[in-house]
Amino acid sequence: MPQQQDILITIIVASVFLVLIGIFLLLMILLFIRKQRRNQQEKEELKNRFEQTLLKTQIEIQEQTLSYISYEIHDNIGQILSLAKINNLQVNKENFESKTELIDELIGKAVTDLRGISHNLNHNNFHQIGFYESIIQLLHSIEKTGKYTTSINTIDADEIEAFVSGNDIILFRMIQEIINNIINHASANHINLSIEKKDQFIIIKIIDNGIGFDTAIIKQENQGIGLHNIYTRAKIINLDVEINSSIGAGTVVVLKMKI
Amino acid sequence: MLSNYIYLLVISSCILVCLMLYKSVKKIGLNYFLPFLILTIIVELSGLWMIQNGINNYLLFNIFTTVEFVFYSFLFFKHYRKYKNKVLSLLFMPLYILAVTINLIYFQGIEKFHTYTFLLGAFFMAVFCCLFFYESVLPEYVEIILTKQPFFWVCTGLLLFYLGSVIINALFEYLRNFDMQIEGKKIYSSINQILNIILYSAFLISFIVCRSNKTY
Repeated sequence: MPQQQDILITIIVASVFLVLIGIFLLLMILLFIRKQRRNQQEKEELKNRFEQTLLKTQIEIQEQTLSYISYEIHDNIGQILSLAKINNLQVNKENFESKTELIDELIGKAVTDLRGISHNLNHNNFHQIGFYESIIQLLHSIEKTGKYTTSINTIDADEIEAFVSGNDIILFRMIQEIINNIINHASANHINLSIEKKDQFIIIKIIDNGIGFDTAIIKQENQGIGLHNIYTRAKIINLDVEINSSIGAGTVVVLKMKI
Repeated sequence: MLSNYIYLLVISSCILVCLMLYKSVKKIGLNYFLPFLILTIIVELSGLWMIQNGINNYLLFNIFTTVEFVFYSFLFFKHYRKYKNKVLSLLFMPLYILAVTINLIYFQGIEKFHTYTFLLGAFFMAVFCCLFFYESVLPEYVEIILTKQPFFWVCTGLLLFYLGSVIINALFEYLRNFDMQIEGKKIYSSINQILNIILYSAFLISFIVCRSNKTY
C-alpha cells in the first residue's frame, strides 16, 4: 500500500514538474522575444540616425555649394555686370569705341566667370567625383584664397574610395568641418592632410601650424557646434576621433576608422 | 462534488465569451472553436452521464480525443506561416486518424482508452506548439508581441495540458487496475480537471485577446 502511494505521489510530482517545465519554456521564449525585439528596435534607431545624418550632411554640402555660387554671383559677376551697365550709360559719340570695347571686355569676363561657376559646380558634385577628388578640390579652394598653403600625402585614391565607401559623405563633411575650424579659429597658414592605412585601420590626419588650443575644452559639455558635430558624426560611422593640441603648437586631428 | 464540475463551468464560459466576441474571434480565424467547444461540452456531459449510469464511455472519448487532435492540428495548419510546418500539420490529420483506427482495431481495442495513440497525439501537439513558438522567435515575425497574439494563448494552453497529461495518460491502464482503482481514479480526475481548467482558461484568454488585437 505505501508503495502504491509512492507511485501516485511520483505521478503527481512528475505531472506538476512537466507543467512547470512548460511554463519555464514559455517564459524563456517571451523573454527571448522581448530581448530580440529590443535589439531590433535599437538597430532600427541606429539606422534611422545614420540616414538622418547622411541627409543632413548632403543638405549641408548643397548649402555650401549654393553659398559659394551666391558669393561668386554677388561679388564677382554682379560687380562686373554693374560696371558694364555704368559704362553703357556713359557711352557717347566721343568715347563710343573705347567704351564699347570695355563693355565687350567686361561682358566677356562675366561670361568666362559664369562658365567657371558652372564648371566648378559640375566638378564639385560629390557623387560624381567621389571622396578623394572632393578632398583635393577642398584643399585647392583653400589655397585659392591665398591665405593658406596645403599639402596632402595619401595612399592610392581607389583604395581610399573602397575603404570609405558607404560613409564617404559623412567623413568628407567631418574633414570639411575640421578645416572650417582651422580657418575660423587656428590662425594657421599651412594645412597638411594625410591618409594612410595601418593594420586594420585607415587613419586620416589633419595637421595645422596654428595657435593651437587647450584640449581640456573638448571635455566640456558646452563645446562648439562644429566640434560637437564632429563627435556626433564619428559615433554614427563608428570612427575614433583624437585631437592633439597645445597652445602655440598647432593642432593634429586624427580620424581612425576600422576597415 | 461541485469542484469536479468547475472545468465544465470554464468550458461554458469559453462558449459564452466566444459567442459574445464572435466577430473579433472570426477575424483571427478562431471561430472554429465555437462548434468544437459545444461538441466538447456535449461529450463531457454525455461522458459523465454514461459513468453515472454505469456505461463504458471509452469509445466516446476515443472518438472525441481523435477529433480533438485533428481539430488542433487544423488550427495549427491555419496559423503557421512557414510552408513546411503547414504541410506537417496537414499530413498529421489523415495519418493520425489512420493510426487511431489501426490501434483500435488491432491493438488496444474499442473497450479500452487508446493510450498509445493519445500519447502519439500529445507528442505531436507539443511539437506543433514548439514549432509555433519557433516561428514566433524568427527575426521576420519577432516584432509581433507574442502575448497579444490569440493563438499564443491557445498554444500555451495546449502545451501545458499535454505536458501535464502525458504521465497520467501513459499510466492510465496501470491506475485502472484493481489495487489502484480508488486512489488512481481520484488522481486521474483531479489532474485532468486541473489541466482542463488551465486549457480552457487559456482558450478564454485567447478570445479576449482577439477583441483587443483584431489583426496581427
